[in-house]
Amino acid sequence: MTARRFSGRLWWRPNIAGLLTMAACGLAWELTIQAGIFDYQYLPAPSAIIQGVGELATSGELAAATMHTLESVFLGWAIAVAAGVSLGLLLGFSPLLRRYSLATIEVLRPMPAIAFVPVALLLFGFSIQTELMVIVLPSLWPVLINTMGGVMGVHARLGEVGRTFRLSRAAMLYKVFLPAATPTILVGMRISLTLAVVLAVLAEMVGNPEGLGYGVVSQQQALRPDLMFVYVVVIGLLGLALNALLIGVVSVSFPAAAAELKGYRP
Amino acid sequence: MKRGELGAFLRMAAAEIPPARGLVPLLALLTLWQLLAPGPSAYFPAPFEWWSAAVLLWGSGQLLPAFAATVTTFLEGLVLAVTIGVALGITIGTSRPVERALGPLLEFMRAIPPPVTVPIATLLLGYDVTMELTVVALSAIWPILLNTSSAAAHVEPLLRDVARTFRLSTARWIRQVVIPAVVPSILLGIRVAIPLAIVVTLLVEMLTSLPGIGALMIQSQRNFQSAQVYALLVVVGLFGFIVNDLFAIVEAIVLRRWPARGVFRSG
Amino acid sequence: MSVAGGETTGRQEHDFVFSCRSVSLKLPYQGGNRWILQDISLDIRRGELLTIVGPSGTGKTSLIRVLGGLTSCTSGSVRINGEEIAGPPEGVIIVFQDYSHALLQWRTVFLNVALGIEGRIAASELRIRVIDALRLVGLEKNADDYPWQLSGGMQQRVQIARALAVRPAVLLMDEPFAALDAMTKASLQDELLRVKQETGCSIVFITHDIEEAVYLGDRIAVINGAPGRIERTFDVTLPKPRDQILTRQLTEFLKFRYAVHQAIGGIIR
Repeated sequence: MTARRFSGRLWWRPNIAGLLTMAACGLAWELTIQAGIFDYQYLPAPSAIIQGVGELATSGELAAATMHTLESVFLGWAIAVAAGVSLGLLLGFSPLLRRYSLATIEVLRPMPAIAFVPVALLLFGFSIQTELMVIVLPSLWPVLINTMGGVMGVHARLGEVGRTFRLSRAAMLYKVFLPAATPTILVGMRISLTLAVVLAVLAEMVGNPEGLGYGVVSQQQALRPDLMFVYVVVIGLLGLALNALLIGVVSVSFPAAAAELKGYRP
Repeated sequence: MKRGELGAFLRMAAAEIPPARGLVPLLALLTLWQLLAPGPSAYFPAPFEWWSAAVLLWGSGQLLPAFAATVTTFLEGLVLAVTIGVALGITIGTSRPVERALGPLLEFMRAIPPPVTVPIATLLLGYDVTMELTVVALSAIWPILLNTSSAAAHVEPLLRDVARTFRLSTARWIRQVVIPAVVPSILLGIRVAIPLAIVVTLLVEMLTSLPGIGALMIQSQRNFQSAQVYALLVVVGLFGFIVNDLFAIVEAIVLRRWPARGVFRSG
Repeated sequence: MSVAGGETTGRQEHDFVFSCRSVSLKLPYQGGNRWILQDISLDIRRGELLTIVGPSGTGKTSLIRVLGGLTSCTSGSVRINGEEIAGPPEGVIIVFQDYSHALLQWRTVFLNVALGIEGRIAASELRIRVIDALRLVGLEKNADDYPWQLSGGMQQRVQIARALAVRPAVLLMDEPFAALDAMTKASLQDELLRVKQETGCSIVFITHDIEEAVYLGDRIAVINGAPGRIERTFDVTLPKPRDQILTRQLTEFLKFRYAVHQAIGGIIR
């Protein structure tokens, strides 16, 4: 949606062209399947997908799967945020600790999340802990790095202001550093949330057979493409919804930081 | 690059490597592990066991082919994603009507997590290397395409005026201003795409048991060969680490003309 | 000091290399349109430096854009050598205020200067022209540097060299020295005068700095009001070559400065 400054009373112009394109694509998809032109056995028409929603909703499968994934995401994300913020703060304030840990972080960070799945399966079998093991570590990095960077990036001037007013260490932390670093930390948390959703789905696809990720794979193996796409769409919507929720909560509790958060596109 | 430049560049790169003592936590963990659980174990085999398992895999001729398969898929998929992503990105970005029309559609497709595209592709395209390549390319293309089109659409407006005052043709505008201007964004997109491509490659191998490290890992896990699982974890980790750093160096070399920046960046 | 309102009369058409007649400009603004320029008529002679001075908000940048063919005027015409322009005309180059964004930061100084002529003239000729242009601005030793390695003043000189390489009839300069510190500004002013002397090109120089306008100009046009219109034009009869210290001390200089100040609206009312 682009906004043009001087283009008329409606300064925010809805993207008609964009919406029409999407509608046209959806329509074209539907019609080509119906007309049998494109007889791709495993490509369902949008109408079939919508019907699939009804089917899965009534059987309660969709709700159960969604709740499970939500549970993993929230737990994993919460742990990652707690650990990431604490470690990030420690590292942000202590050059000594940084010297003794940055290299480790640089080595561990590029590890592909999916490589943890077999290890997690080995240790925890088919359970939510498997998912958590896959989610937590990679989700931790954005929070840690952003917290560390946020603290380190607080302008020297602010530190000097604190010292001029002879604030105690605790007061400096609480009144100066944390608020100044908050926008960056929140961006890290948002990246982490998006990542957590992807990782939860990933872990459910190859690890723990529960939740939306497993739904996608199982419907694929059952050769029910219509139901498979239902899960795909729900996963997409879930990501968007959680993001919007986070922005909403932040807007209420940290209005100043919310502006920077909204501007960020992962 | 001139000889003096290369030396200066390497010095700059070396200065950016975090101090080696930063590896202490990792080494401490491994040492502790080795001391507390010195032998083979179903859940926590010692690090030396991982090494033995790795040597075994190498000797039995399993490791190399699997590694080669994974790397090949990854590279081919990435190259595909870069070529198509850049071409499409520039086309979309330089045409405002096209960008507005396709914008929401692209956003919608971006919201689908890459791993999810794997079952879809498996269903539509079957269980073969073509599908694997398609999926990897499809996942990796988004950051590249979106970064490129966004950068192309947001080329410094003043440069547009400059191009017009010098009466440059559209072809020259795109070739000599837009493309160089978007190179940093393209590289950023590739940097994001690389871990995605690795994950999706491994994911496909795990789901379909097409040859590769991923398949090997799942197989080891199912056979409860725990040391092998950990060994392969290390292999994958090293691979990811090396690829990322190699690309960081490539990126720094390409961008040496741009205003000064470091070689390795965290975050 | 002679003061003339509007255009100077009694000159032949062909003396003017560049002129605009009754140019008015209307631009979209917050739901409607707004008149930015009103009935601007200017003539620029061969080899003269016309400074256009006025407070901000009077449409100076819009005027440069109209003269440079980047924006079409709503009414009136802009002519070069008698022919009306449609789009950026050949032989007219704009030098922008924001030098760092106007240069291609990924190209060397040499390649930046070559932008306007590459692909249009032979390679050997191109090399000669680029080196000439760099020599004119004193940057021949920096040909292989990148813009981001140079200071603000040097980058602006690169932009000027880039315009000069095209051998333009007219240089349109939009507050080119506004973003520079006082000393760099002074040295670039003198350099500009020297460049004009050596190349004989005409220059339209927009500024909000009254002293700069008087120091540089052969003629000054005062633009004022919203929408902007030409309040007065002056022929600047100060001796040449201009000197940063001596010229600025002359009584004549102060009189011109005062007159321009008055024309703009002045402090003393």
